[in-house]
Amino acid sequence: MVATTHEPGLKHAHFQTAGLPALLLLPQLLILLFFFFIPSIRALMQAFLLTDPFGASVHFVWFDNFTALFASDSYRNSIWVTIWFTLAQNVVTIAVALVLAFATDRVVRFQSGYKSVILLPYAIAPVIAGVMWAFLFNPAVGPIAFFIKALGFQWDPNRNGSDAMLLVVLAASWKHICYDYIFLVAGLLAVPRSLMEAAAVDGAGPIRRFSQIALPLLGPTLFFLTTMNFVYGFFETFAIIDAVTRGGPAGATNILVYKVYQDGFVNLDLGSSAAQSVLLMTFALLLTLLQFKYVERKVNYSI
Amino acid sequence: MRNDKTIPRIAIGALTLIMSGAAYAEPVEVQWWHAMNGVNGERVEELAKKFNESNDQYRVVAVNKGNYDEVINSTIAAYRAKRPPHIVQIYERGFMTMLLSDAIVPVQDLMDKTGHKVDWSDFIKPVAGFYSYKGKLAAMPFNSSSPILFYNKDQFQKAGFDKPAETWGEFDKQLYAIKKSGAAECGTALATDYHWSLIENYSAINDQPYATKANGYNGLDTEFVYNKTLVVPQVARLKKWLDDGVLQIAGQGFSPEQLFTSGKCATYFASTAAHSGIERNSKIAWSATFLPWEEGVQPKNSTIGGAALWVIKGHKPEEEKAIAAFFDYLAKPETQLWWHKATGYVPLTNKAYEMAKFEGYYKESPTREIAIQQLNRGTPTDNSLGFHFGNFTQSMFAQREEVEALFAGKKDAQQAMDDAVKRGNEVLRQYERLNKGKY
Repeated sequence: MVATTHEPGLKHAHFQTAGLPALLLLPQLLILLFFFFIPSIRALMQAFLLTDPFGASVHFVWFDNFTALFASDSYRNSIWVTIWFTLAQNVVTIAVALVLAFATDRVVRFQSGYKSVILLPYAIAPVIAGVMWAFLFNPAVGPIAFFIKALGFQWDPNRNGSDAMLLVVLAASWKHICYDYIFLVAGLLAVPRSLMEAAAVDGAGPIRRFSQIALPLLGPTLFFLTTMNFVYGFFETFAIIDAVTRGGPAGATNILVYKVYQDGFVNLDLGSSAAQSVLLMTFALLLTLLQFKYVERKVNYSI
Repeated sequence: MRNDKTIPRIAIGALTLIMSGAAYAEPVEVQWWHAMNGVNGERVEELAKKFNESNDQYRVVAVNKGNYDEVINSTIAAYRAKRPPHIVQIYERGFMTMLLSDAIVPVQDLMDKTGHKVDWSDFIKPVAGFYSYKGKLAAMPFNSSSPILFYNKDQFQKAGFDKPAETWGEFDKQLYAIKKSGAAECGTALATDYHWSLIENYSAINDQPYATKANGYNGLDTEFVYNKTLVVPQVARLKKWLDDGVLQIAGQGFSPEQLFTSGKCATYFASTAAHSGIERNSKIAWSATFLPWEEGVQPKNSTIGGAALWVIKGHKPEEEKAIAAFFDYLAKPETQLWWHKATGYVPLTNKAYEMAKFEGYYKESPTREIAIQQLNRGTPTDNSLGFHFGNFTQSMFAQREEVEALFAGKKDAQQAMDDAVKRGNEVLRQYERLNKGKY
C-alpha cells in the first residue's frame, strides 16, 4: 500500500517521548481492559468449568463443554443456520442498498427527501422493528400474511422453518439496508463525473455505466460493507431474532449468538454458553481473517 | 448485564447508609425483586404498600426486574457480586436450582429463628407439598396457579353443546363440530405455556409417570419416561388439530389469549391467573371448567405453577426480622383472600379458602374456584405430586423444540418425544453430577 512509506515519518514527527502517547492511549486501553479483556478471559475460564448458576459447586471439566457442543445436533444446526442467515442477509442488504443508492444518484429533485425516507429504519429500535415484522407476517392476524395467502402460497413462520428464516432475513436486512446505503451513496459521489459522462457520450446505458464503471470503483466500499454485514449478522441481529421467532420453530432460526443467550441466560447452562461464546469469537475472527486474506486482494483501492 | 446495575446499587447502598446513620428511627428496609407486570404488577405494588402502612418498623420495597427468567438472572448476578436483594420471586421451575444453590435460607427456618408462629399445616397440600424439602418449607408460597380450560359459551351453544366435555375423546369431537358448524374459526388457541397445561398437567391428571423416582421427588437420579406414556398420542393429537385447523398458533408478536378473547377460537387452556386479563379484555360470553381427562381414567389433581418467594442468605438479623414480618403478613387469611380475588391466583391457606366460600365469593364468580378444586382432587400419587427436576427450564426447552419439529412435520410424535427425553436426560445427568450428595 502507498501509505506505508509515510508511516515512520508520521510517528517520529509527532511524538518525541513514549510517555505522552501512552497517556493518550490509556483511557481507551482501560475501557478495553474492563469491557473486553477481563470478560473475555472470564468467558474463556468459564468454558472449562461446570458450575451451578449461583457458583456453589464448580468442577473443572477440561474440554467437556466443547465436545458436548460438537456432539449436539442443535449446535451443528445452529452453525448452519448462522451461515445461511448471514449470507442471505448480506446478499439482500447489499443488493437492495446498491439499487437504492444508484437510483438516488440519478434522482435530481428531492434527493435529500428520498435519502431521509430510506434512512428512517435505522432510527427504529431493533426489537420494535422485529415485533412489527412478526406482526405484519403473522398468519393469524398479519395483513401481509393475508396477502401472501391470497396469492395462493402456504405461509406459516410459526411452523415452517424456511418461512421463519425468510422472515428474519428480511427483517434483519430491512434494518441494515440504510447503513450500507449511506456508504454506497458516499461511494458513488466519489466516482468521477467525467468518467460517467464520457461513457454516456460513448453510448453506454445506465446499466452498463453502473456495472462497468461505478461497481468496480465501489470495490473498497463493498468489501468494507461485506465485513460489516457479517459482523452485524453474527452479533447484532439478536434482538430481531428474539422478537420475530425466538430462534424457532425447532431451532430453524437459532443463530449462534441467540443460542449463547438462550443457553446462558434462560437455561442457565453457563459452561456451555461460555464455550459457545469462545467458539463464536473464533469463528468471527477466522471469517474476518479469510476475508482480508482472499477477498481484499480482489479489491482495487486506487481510483 | 451486571455492570449497568452496579452504579445505581452503590448509590442506593450509600444512600441507605447515610439515612440509617442520620435517622435511626427509620424503618428497616428490605428489597423484594419480583416478576409481576400488568394488572398483577399493580397488585404487587399495592401489597407492599399495604404492608408498609400496617407497621412502622419495616418497609418492603418491591422492584420489578422483568420476567421470571430475568428475575432469576438478576438474582444470580447480584448474588455473585455479593449485593443480593432480600426476597426474590422465583418461578416453580427454578425450585431445584434455588434449593441446592447454597444461597438461600429456608423460609421455615427463618420464621422459627425470628419467633414467628406460622401454621404451615393450614397451607393447601399441593402448594405446601411442592415447596417442601425434608418436611420443611423451603420457600414462601406466593402466587400459585393451575391451568384450567376457558371456553366461549355462545360458540359451544351454537354448535349444540352446553359446555366442554369431560374427556379428551368427546372434547376432540366437539372442537371439530364447532369448526365444521362455523360457530368459531378455530377450536382452541395454543397457549405460550402449553407444555405446562397440555403435557405436564396432562400427565399428572391422567396419572401417567413423567419421570422415574416420583417425578424427581425421590432423588436426583430421576429419568424422563414420558416417551412411553399417553403423552405421545397427546402430542400427536395436537399435531392433527394443527393440520386440520382446529388448533391455532398465535406466534410471536401476538398473544394467544387474544385469539380467544376476540372470539376467533372457542377454547383456551390457560392458568387461572389469566382471569384478570380475560375479565378486563374480553367482550365474549366466557366461562371455564376443569381440564379434560382420558376416558376410563379416575382424574387426579393437577399441579401448580406460578412462583414463590425465596430469602437470600447473608442479611442482617434485623433485616431477617423484617422479612419474617412481611411473610407473616402474607400468610394472614385476609391478605390471602384479597390477593386471590385481586389476581385470580389460588388462595394459599385453607382458612382463606373457607373465608371466600363463606362470603359467597364463588357464587358470584364460580370459575375462580375451579383451580382450587382441581388441585385438591383425590389423593396425589407419585405421578401427580408435582415436578422436581434440576435445570427444569432447560429440559422443558428441549421438549418444546422437539414438539416444534413434530409440528413442522420433521419428526413423528414418537420420534419427537424420544429425542426430547434423550436430551432432557442429559440435562438431568449434568445436574446430578453437579449436585451429587446434596439432595
